[in-house]
Amino acid sequence: MPYPHQLGFQDATSPIMEELLYFHDHTLMIVFLISSLVLYTISTMLSTKLTHTNTMNAQEIEMVWTILPAMILILIALPSLRILYMIDEINDPSLTVKTLGHQWYWSYEYTDYEELCFDSYMVPSTDLKPGELRLLEVDNRVVLPMKTPVRMLISSEDVLHSWAVPSLGLKTDAVPGRLNQTTLMSSRPGLFYGQCSEICGSNHSFMPIVIEMVPLKTFESWSSLMT
Amino acid sequence: MWTPQVELRGAKLVLRSSLYPWVGRAALSPPAHEMLSRAAWSLVLRRGPGIRGKHSPGGAADGQGKMPPYTNYYAQRSYPMPDEPFCTELSAEQRALKEKEKGSWTQLSHAEKVALYRIRFHETFAEMNRRSQEWKTVMGCVFFFIGTTALLIWWQRVYVFPQKPITLTDEWKARQLQRILDMKGNPVQGLASRWDYERKEWKK
Repeated sequence: MPYPHQLGFQDATSPIMEELLYFHDHTLMIVFLISSLVLYTISTMLSTKLTHTNTMNAQEIEMVWTILPAMILILIALPSLRILYMIDEINDPSLTVKTLGHQWYWSYEYTDYEELCFDSYMVPSTDLKPGELRLLEVDNRVVLPMKTPVRMLISSEDVLHSWAVPSLGLKTDAVPGRLNQTTLMSSRPGLFYGQCSEICGSNHSFMPIVIEMVPLKTFESWSSLMT
Repeated sequence: MWTPQVELRGAKLVLRSSLYPWVGRAALSPPAHEMLSRAAWSLVLRRGPGIRGKHSPGGAADGQGKMPPYTNYYAQRSYPMPDEPFCTELSAEQRALKEKEKGSWTQLSHAEKVALYRIRFHETFAEMNRRSQEWKTVMGCVFFFIGTTALLIWWQRVYVFPQKPITLTDEWKARQLQRILDMKGNPVQGLASRWDYERKEWKK
């Protein structure tokens, strides 16, 4: 979940998100190096006492500043594509959960064994219990077993929405008339928050997602309680 | 109402010195607040192209030559040799000097060399690259606008903004922090990783 004065990403809950954090560190380092080089170049150009600043022939440096960026881009693209394909790896989900976006709430369906369907509305700020997070708590959380791959099928009943949970590295658009699939795998228990990430009307900012990852036994008792 | 009287002197707009012509030069000076506002206004007006200068002095697209005293001559540190000379209309004396220049340069005296330089170029490198006081005006305007913005923002905070939500009170924030620590939110590198659960205090 987000915490006060946070600067970077939330901690990774799934292996994919860990990979994304490493990739972000790698790319950001490249960006910092390039930016500091450019800043240095600009400051040197502004403070020079040289008078002849119109270069006529610059073949060598043109070669350098064409080849070098191409190599840097390849250096960024290779890890990026690696993670992209990692996300699409074939795994064997133990559970399938469907989530439908509505204006302005999410509804979840666990239909593998029994029919379990419920809506998940945001808790208004006036109804919050002390210590709860404003605009992030919901009445019915998505309870899932931890350390098991879960298939999420995401769609929408009206307009475009997007089902996003940053700490799991997930963001999938909910398109009406289309079924989008993503895989979820949490390494640890806890509460993980997200928000709708596609503009969908006046209460777009007020339809959060809360995933509660619990041990399998707890999940089983919860689902039998709910049905 | 007093309006600023400006005139074109060289390439700069300059405030005309005498503003009360009917009173005469020996008259009393204007009141203090007038002087202050006039000084401020003249600083902003007088800037013109100024020392910072143009970006493209030797434009090839400038086909049209201008009539003197306006020319396309502009020299900068990065463009020290403009295409046209500074003085295009030469007096008889200067023309004679130009004829003398066609001969051996050892025949020229130092003063003649300086005169030839001044015909070809307006200023020396030292004069061309001199510093100016413009930075003070710029900083003054920057601080002025920052101050105005600060005043506007403060007024907005007092008269426009609604009440803060209940979740921003210290008590709520403390309970929230306790809840995040209890559920070990961000235990790897984030908040809960900085809390020592055994000693129940922040890690040193």
